[in-house]
Amino acid sequence: MAAAVGRALRLGGPRAQALRLIYTTTALRKRNVGASGPEKYTEAFIKKQIEEFNLGKRHLANMMGEDPETFTQEDIDKAIAYLFPSGLFDKQARPMMKHPSEIFPEQRKIQWGEDGRPFHFLFYTGKQSYYSLMHETYEKLLNVQKHQDKLSAQDLLPQKEKRNLAGSRWLTKIELEEMLLEKLSDNDYLRFIQLLQKLMAMPCGDIEEKYIQKFSKEVPAQLQKVVIEPLKYDEQGVAFSTGEGTRKTAKATAVVYGNGTGKITVNGIDILHYFTVLQDREQLLFPFQFLDRIGKHDTVCTVSGGGRSAQAGAIRLATAKALRSFVTEKEVEFMRQAGLLTRDPRVKERKKPGQEGARRKFTWKKR
Amino acid sequence: MLRSLRGLVCHPRKLDHGYALHTAAKDCLSSLASQDVQALAEGPRAVFYTSENDPANHTEHHEGRHYSIPLEEVKAVFPHGLPPRFQQQIKTFNEACVMVRKPALELFAYLKNSNFAHPAVRYVIYGEKGTGKTMTLCHVVHYCSRQGWLVLHIPDAHLWVKNCKELLQSSYNKDRLDQPLQASFWLKNFKTSNERFLKEIKTQRKYVWGKRDSTEEGKPLGEVVEQGLARVRNASDVVGVVLKEIKQQCQLGSFRLLVAVDGVNALWGRTTLKKEDKSPVSPEELTLVYNLRKMMRNDWSGGAVVTTLSQTGSLFKPRCAYLPQELLGKEGFDALDPFVPILVPNYSAAEFESCYRYYRHCRWLQHPRAHTAEGQEELRFLSGSNPWQLERLAGPL
Repeated sequence: MAAAVGRALRLGGPRAQALRLIYTTTALRKRNVGASGPEKYTEAFIKKQIEEFNLGKRHLANMMGEDPETFTQEDIDKAIAYLFPSGLFDKQARPMMKHPSEIFPEQRKIQWGEDGRPFHFLFYTGKQSYYSLMHETYEKLLNVQKHQDKLSAQDLLPQKEKRNLAGSRWLTKIELEEMLLEKLSDNDYLRFIQLLQKLMAMPCGDIEEKYIQKFSKEVPAQLQKVVIEPLKYDEQGVAFSTGEGTRKTAKATAVVYGNGTGKITVNGIDILHYFTVLQDREQLLFPFQFLDRIGKHDTVCTVSGGGRSAQAGAIRLATAKALRSFVTEKEVEFMRQAGLLTRDPRVKERKKPGQEGARRKFTWKKR
Repeated sequence: MLRSLRGLVCHPRKLDHGYALHTAAKDCLSSLASQDVQALAEGPRAVFYTSENDPANHTEHHEGRHYSIPLEEVKAVFPHGLPPRFQQQIKTFNEACVMVRKPALELFAYLKNSNFAHPAVRYVIYGEKGTGKTMTLCHVVHYCSRQGWLVLHIPDAHLWVKNCKELLQSSYNKDRLDQPLQASFWLKNFKTSNERFLKEIKTQRKYVWGKRDSTEEGKPLGEVVEQGLARVRNASDVVGVVLKEIKQQCQLGSFRLLVAVDGVNALWGRTTLKKEDKSPVSPEELTLVYNLRKMMRNDWSGGAVVTTLSQTGSLFKPRCAYLPQELLGKEGFDALDPFVPILVPNYSAAEFESCYRYYRHCRWLQHPRAHTAEGQEELRFLSGSNPWQLERLAGPL
């Protein structure tokens, strides 16, 4: 290869020392793709994509027999999933049709005009959006201070009530970067958050509430999502509750009755006969033992799939879910912390090619 | 207090055998438990124990309670009858305590009221695995021996149809096969349990054992048994002779006979034995089984036949089979028909309580949580009130 590097022409004359390359190899000629950074999409390109998307949307609506005017994104997703069924696990890898603004990342437009002069006055700081944001926020802070001074001069300083911060959080660094379309460093981000906190902490900070809300997000509390079903009553007036559980490949449904002697029936068979091994019966015992209700509930379960241990785990989850209806909220929280209400995510790991099993490699032979 | 402590448990403990009873509050529980144990040891034992040692006097009043058999009597009456785990328990606790249960009481009632002039009634004790069929049989055997009956106790008929090292061709009948080892073993135990009868019963015929050995008419049965023990080759024939003699003489009415067979379904099933030419042996071809089947027929009077079905030692039968129809097969069912079936269920609540108290009294349950009410509930749940399961569970605790 070294021999194929450009033949140099020796020029005669006064510039005899300079060597000029006549030709280069393919290796040298190849563009360094990584060095140019992410692809730049021109505005025209994006506009064209949007037009194509809308056209495609109308075509799709016609194909599916729906009204093109009222064809929403959800309908598009359903239609694509129907027309191009995919078994891939990663949702991002499946075929999708979304608005170009969601697919192509937002990019900054050219920051300078035809004469080369930048539009923004902070362009030459390098981080123009960040500094302009800090500038704005500090301006608001000064406003609030001025307002405060005015009020304290008139002795009308309102008392600051503690605002409940539990339901909201600040934007994360990545979210802020997305908003500003430029990279931030950790320190920058910290400074900004500190400024916001200072602004909020001031007594008259409520004036700029709208501005602050741009940078905070709501955090839904954990438990609010889970709805505990109320008890149902069957013909004889006995309270009962149903629960479903899965583990590995086993699926189970359990019906727990309010009265009883602690008998459990699985697929019509008593647990003593269905689960011969003590370990499985201990798994079934665990929810009742935890809640101190061992001999108080009768249970009827159905289970299918999986092996012996998986079926036991599935029934345990199902009974725990069913027992939630019989028990106070505090105890439900205890159950959740004990891990009774969590579906065990462990499943059989896939076998990889080139290995004997999921982790086991073939016997290594030195030669 | 316990509730708040339990709330600190973040993740489920690994549920190993026995560790299901661990909680975060071990310390306070142990202090409570020690007080509990002392209190109960001094308290009344009347709930689980009765001092009535004669089974004849056991009534419903005693139901669920344990009574103890003196150890000498155990050696005399049960040289070979008790289940092996129970024998270990006797050695550990230094006493043999048997629970009085309803099936046994039922049997006693039948035996007391049976008319011995009529042909012998056959009773079949059946039930799921580990519910106490063999123990019920032993209870009945004890009762009968106390009453002075002659007890013909075959501890496990399955032993005669499998794992036989030596099979000899029978000298009496060319088609049949002898089992010297099993026969001599059984004769030895039979001798221990029925000493006095062996002196009283006399032979009614002359038996020739070989060129030089013979037993004259009118000799006590003990001699025949000695003959069998001395000449192991003829042991199976001796067993046949003993059975025949006893059956004949029982009809005369001088004594009552109880034939107690455990695992009677072995007599009509299949065997795992093979002849020298690798062909399978059917049960009729074994002398012992053939003679025993003759005893099972109800063509004699003056006694009773109490048998137990057992899946545990049975060959080629599925694990969940426990009904007479399933375990005996058509042949066995027809042979035993008509019989009185007696079901032995799992422990009832009172019986379970009694067994639990007994274990606590013997200090067999050492785990601190086992002494609490929740521990008892857990044991009840995990064992499903099955005596066998409970015994196995209580072992490591």
